[in-house]
Amino acid sequence: MKKKILSVLLCAAMVTGLLAGCGSKDTPAESSSEAQAPAETSTEEAAAPAESTGDKLVYWSMWDAAEPQAQAIAQSIEAFTAETGIEVDVQFKGRTGIREGLQPALDAGTNIDLFDEDIDRVNVTWGSYLLDLEDLAAANDYEATANAGLMAACREVAGGTLKSIPYQPNVFAYFYNVDIFEEAGITAPPATWDEFLDVCQKIKDAGYTPITNDNAYIASLFGYHMSRLIGEPATEEVVKNGDWDDEAVLKTAQAYEELASRGFFSETIESNQWPAGQNTELAMGTAAMYLNGSWLPNEVKDIAGEDFNWGCFSYPAVEGGVDGTEASNYGAQVFAINAKSTKAEQAFQLITYLTKGDADKLLSDMSVGIPADSNNAEWPALLSNVKPVMESLTTRYPWAAGAEANADMTPIIVENFTKLCGGSLDAQGFVDALKAAGK
Amino acid sequence: MAASPHTVPPCFIHTFSFTISIFCHRKEVSGLKKNKTMIVAFLAPAVIMFAIIFVYPIIRTVAMSFFKIEGVTDAISKWQFSGLANYIKLFNTQLFRISMWNIFRIWFFGGLIVMGLALLFAAILTSGIRFKSAFRAIIYMPNVVSAVALATMWLQYVFSPKFGLFKSIGDMLHWKWLSKFQWLDPDHLFLALLVAYCFGMVGYHMLIFASGIERIGSDYFEAATLDGANRIQQFRYITLPLLKGVTKTNITMWSVSSAGFFLWSQLFSMVVSNTQTITPVVYMYQNIFGAGNSVTERNSGIGAAVGVLLSACVVIIFIVCNKIFKDDDIEF
Repeated sequence: MKKKILSVLLCAAMVTGLLAGCGSKDTPAESSSEAQAPAETSTEEAAAPAESTGDKLVYWSMWDAAEPQAQAIAQSIEAFTAETGIEVDVQFKGRTGIREGLQPALDAGTNIDLFDEDIDRVNVTWGSYLLDLEDLAAANDYEATANAGLMAACREVAGGTLKSIPYQPNVFAYFYNVDIFEEAGITAPPATWDEFLDVCQKIKDAGYTPITNDNAYIASLFGYHMSRLIGEPATEEVVKNGDWDDEAVLKTAQAYEELASRGFFSETIESNQWPAGQNTELAMGTAAMYLNGSWLPNEVKDIAGEDFNWGCFSYPAVEGGVDGTEASNYGAQVFAINAKSTKAEQAFQLITYLTKGDADKLLSDMSVGIPADSNNAEWPALLSNVKPVMESLTTRYPWAAGAEANADMTPIIVENFTKLCGGSLDAQGFVDALKAAGK
Repeated sequence: MAASPHTVPPCFIHTFSFTISIFCHRKEVSGLKKNKTMIVAFLAPAVIMFAIIFVYPIIRTVAMSFFKIEGVTDAISKWQFSGLANYIKLFNTQLFRISMWNIFRIWFFGGLIVMGLALLFAAILTSGIRFKSAFRAIIYMPNVVSAVALATMWLQYVFSPKFGLFKSIGDMLHWKWLSKFQWLDPDHLFLALLVAYCFGMVGYHMLIFASGIERIGSDYFEAATLDGANRIQQFRYITLPLLKGVTKTNITMWSVSSAGFFLWSQLFSMVVSNTQTITPVVYMYQNIFGAGNSVTERNSGIGAAVGVLLSACVVIIFIVCNKIFKDDDIEF
């Protein structure tokens, strides 16, 4: 009998041990104050606010710890804690970590007070988890020194109310090598398609490759040209519904067929797997123009060098088109506060600290990024030519101007558009390939 | 559906069969009827863990595949029943069909290359050559290097149309076809991916083959030598037949890793996926977490349907393998 009791006790101990071993565990490196909910709660609506077991403010960041943005933020958080006494548990999850892990963590009731990511993903994908910030922003007079255009963009994507605070603004436009332009005798960046063709010819005549790109961004060329012709909403409809018979598709393809036939693209455009084009052609000074975001100078600064003379212009207007150079994708990373956070005011205090004054300037300097605080009027030298472009924009496109709105079509557009730019497909062939993909 | 032992992961087959064997053994030896409590107590942890970690996710995934679900952790109350719509959409989507074709090509052609080379290297290494350990370590080396580093090396160095190794070799030998070959363009990217992936996988399967060859007693080869059989005949009539079980293991391992092909695909087409490198798991990821930099429509139900279809493919491969390579018809 004694043996039996002992065996049952041992069994119980084993089961307890197993369950304890499988349970969640706080590690100092990850989080010192995280309150993990049981896995089962992930399938249920967490009705009660997430409990904070510690005093620290928990911030899940989209940056990798080694990136300059993360280093600047970590440095500013230290200063924030020293100034206010509010301790912050910052966890640099990286882009993939946030994309895959944030929503399950929020569903499971994990204690996260604030997080950040791209303006569209935060407001659209995770919109239902966000605290409305209108009252906090008004109470703290936040908008007195904020970028009005970006604040408006935040409200627009959140359905008319403020649910996120922008920082690290960015703009998508043509980035070019000013020295090559000058050597080719080009005095002003092109504003129309005809001027663009003229600029390409001059660059080619000067012995350089006019345009390069990589597989990661090449769909944007298609999206921007389409959106110049028929506007972004119509472009998105074409891409989502597969209306490849729309004459704008063929017109766009014909424009790019001409660029290809006149030898304006890099010889290796079809083989350019990111970041080959931006690193080995643009940054190395053999190619002149690349349609990309304002993060580009930072990404290639170690290759291009500090003396690389960056220029920037908005995608040219096309004849008879709906949109002009005033339209482009501009946006920012944004901070948002978990609607269930019990420390919303402290979280907003931290957001304000990071997006204003010295912290904003530090982030801008370390990451060669655009400052968010309108008082920080001085932009990093490498981006000085980006400022007029950013300030001229009034219409906001989403990513790739709608060209990547249909995930089932993006790789097919990329493949065939790359072939079109490389000259191995003509305009009609491009349209036919897209039409065939819908069958 | 009755659970075939091959439909569950090997670790659980072991745990489960171990538990059952204890149970049967005890029953025969000491008439365990008296100790039912003990049986339940000892079985409970394994059964509970099995149910939580394997059975529940399998059932949930199959159920999810019949619903439209935006977020993968959405509450069941948010699921919208859609019947077979997810499966119908998958079969009607060219990109998914391309991804299935890609995974078949990786499994079949990659399998032929990897198994062929692995067997060849294993046979050479076990034939008594000098510096066997050094060669084995060199061939296995890619397995200990991070896939990210390997893919970067292949993409930015070996295949580069400007500075690539193949381009340099082509230039050196005046082979224009090689120096001008565009490994990374849309027509050849799959080939480039296959070469890079197979390069990294040969060592792993070679080790399994080598261990199988080393298990074969030297008596067989000595007897065959005395009977006048040459090395090739010995390989054909002794080594190959006795490697049946090991070959089955290798094909199984290769099939499992092929079905979950994800990282190399991502590394060979960063940011946005590519028609030449997309695989069903990448397609699943895009449907669950969104694609590229765009905010695209998400449907975890489609992701679950992809998972169910992939599992079905793996089960079919196992069944076919079991039919072709029947166990234990040769004992040695």
